[in-house]
Amino acid sequence: MGRARRPGHTDFVTSLDVPRPHLLRRVFGPLAARDFWAEYAWLWLSGPLTLFSLLSFFVLLALGLSLTPVLFGFLVLAGAIHYARGLGAAHRGLAKALLGVSVPAPRRPELKPGLWAWVRARVGDPAGWRTAGYLLLRLPLTFAGMLTMVTATLYALAATPFAVFWFPMGEQRLPLFDIYADNWAGALAWSASGLLVLVALPWVTHAFVALDRLLVVGLLGTRELSERVRDLEASRATAVEDSALRLRRIERDLHDGAQAQLVALAMKLGLAKDELEDLDLPQVKQLVTAAHANAKQALTELRDLARGIHPAALDAGLDVALATLVATSGMDARVAVDLPRRPPPSLETIVYFSAAELLTNAAKHSGSTTYVEVTEERDVLWLRVRDRGRGGARLVPGGGLAGVAERLRTVDGELTVVSPVGGPTEVTARVPLPR
Amino acid sequence: MRIVIAEDSTILRQGLVELLTFRGHEVVAAVKDADALRAAVEENTPDVSIVDIRMPPTHTDEGLRAAISLRRESPGRAILLFSQYVETKYAAELLADRAGGVGYLLKDRVAEVSDFLDALRRVADGETVLDPEVVSQLFSATRQTDALAGLTPREREVLGLMAEGRSNSAIAAELFLSAGSVEKYVTSIFGKLGLPPSEGDNRRVLAVLRYLDS
Repeated sequence: MGRARRPGHTDFVTSLDVPRPHLLRRVFGPLAARDFWAEYAWLWLSGPLTLFSLLSFFVLLALGLSLTPVLFGFLVLAGAIHYARGLGAAHRGLAKALLGVSVPAPRRPELKPGLWAWVRARVGDPAGWRTAGYLLLRLPLTFAGMLTMVTATLYALAATPFAVFWFPMGEQRLPLFDIYADNWAGALAWSASGLLVLVALPWVTHAFVALDRLLVVGLLGTRELSERVRDLEASRATAVEDSALRLRRIERDLHDGAQAQLVALAMKLGLAKDELEDLDLPQVKQLVTAAHANAKQALTELRDLARGIHPAALDAGLDVALATLVATSGMDARVAVDLPRRPPPSLETIVYFSAAELLTNAAKHSGSTTYVEVTEERDVLWLRVRDRGRGGARLVPGGGLAGVAERLRTVDGELTVVSPVGGPTEVTARVPLPR
Repeated sequence: MRIVIAEDSTILRQGLVELLTFRGHEVVAAVKDADALRAAVEENTPDVSIVDIRMPPTHTDEGLRAAISLRRESPGRAILLFSQYVETKYAAELLADRAGGVGYLLKDRVAEVSDFLDALRRVADGETVLDPEVVSQLFSATRQTDALAGLTPREREVLGLMAEGRSNSAIAAELFLSAGSVEKYVTSIFGKLGLPPSEGDNRRVLAVLRYLDS
């Protein structure tokens, strides 16, 4: 797809315009390339290296397993897996130097204090086991590769010079590969086949190494996505838990601090108001009465605020909190909570505020009794809110339901809305619980 | 009255002590947690104890647990529970022993000093006093129950005031009714709730409990 050149128009010179290399260079170039020699060296080196690694690992592993009746065996076992991890690192280094494959190192196992914890973490280190798997898979592959390489190299070295070196010297037969010719045409054919093998050698090498590369990337590196996902899940869980804790602390601080101060203030103002009753100080009386009313109002507002931050009833569990919510809001609703165990505080908070929002929504739109149900089935918490209202509720961006869905997503929860026009409406939240 | 106070907030504890002393009561002990409360009650046998629900160590319902166990040991021992929030479930647990002499009030109520002292006095006398907010929670929580469905709005109003521990004459004053009509409402409520005639005060408590149970 060359562009038509117009007179007087200067085209930019792009990489496409670089002249193609000479034919000879294209055919024989790969043989001279550094990449080829690196891959070639890799195939030669990896055979013995793999064999040695695997054997030494198996010896350690067998030793460890046979000694498991005594504690020392577990130590050897842990050492064997740790050793495999080291082998993986060595192979990774070699692959980087020769093949240019850069794989990030797998995550270190989390080591906890204590000998037994150490042994468990080491034996359970997936990186070590994956390296063992790598070595096992690689063993046949590397020998197939080496065999092919050796044969091809020898054949190319023997056959290529046949027509130009051995045949003119009067040799009709070589002790290798049954190379025999009694005329020039045959000799040339042998040479041509040798040359062909020589030219093909880089490609064959590359094919074998490509398989190896896959193994290195797949087994020796960090399984990036899965580990990243795990990392993210863990850090997000910490963040969610942390914010729940923080809210709880804020509520407690309010309770112990500002609320207590205000109660004491209102109490003293109340006392002052009573004491002023019989005195003739109308202005002071008016001031104290107003201050007293202000203090009481502030108390009410502060209580609502604290409840919005973290409902105190949640300390007693979702059942109490939801029952209290329904009771105080004056909504027409029935709550049934059936949980065999208490979810973590962060999940309780999220489920509580989701239920509160769904209840408010239902009360706004249905005008009939709303049923709230919280159950646990196989490590999943289900929150169902049903009403027999008009139906037609939908998840619209920015709406109340979407807000609930967002809230639930922070703990991998999902929200399903079934609300045909004319009702009934059933909104279901699904929240996975930690095992 | 001889009073024991259990409240972990220093400022509130001191404030209560000042208030009660100022009004001529004797605060025999003012403590910070449930264990100290048990010890103080056993040592002093006060006329009434004022107990905060949230106290150390967990700051959830220590005061309620202590109150229930104290009343199990000595039924009818007068205790006024005191809380920043009211929970229907707590009220139900507290009243479950049906022995009277209990109160459950929002801390805010102490701002109305005379009402608060009046409530304290009634609890000491063996009556049941519930915070108006608890009462309204009870009404909305049990709105659909059959028993309640039979009551007229006026009867519910009367029942609400009964639950707060008001006497018939106080209810009459509050609702601008004659003592006679209040009496009629109360009798009608008892009838609709299926409460057999017995000593008046006990029936009043039972009427409230009927809601807590439903």
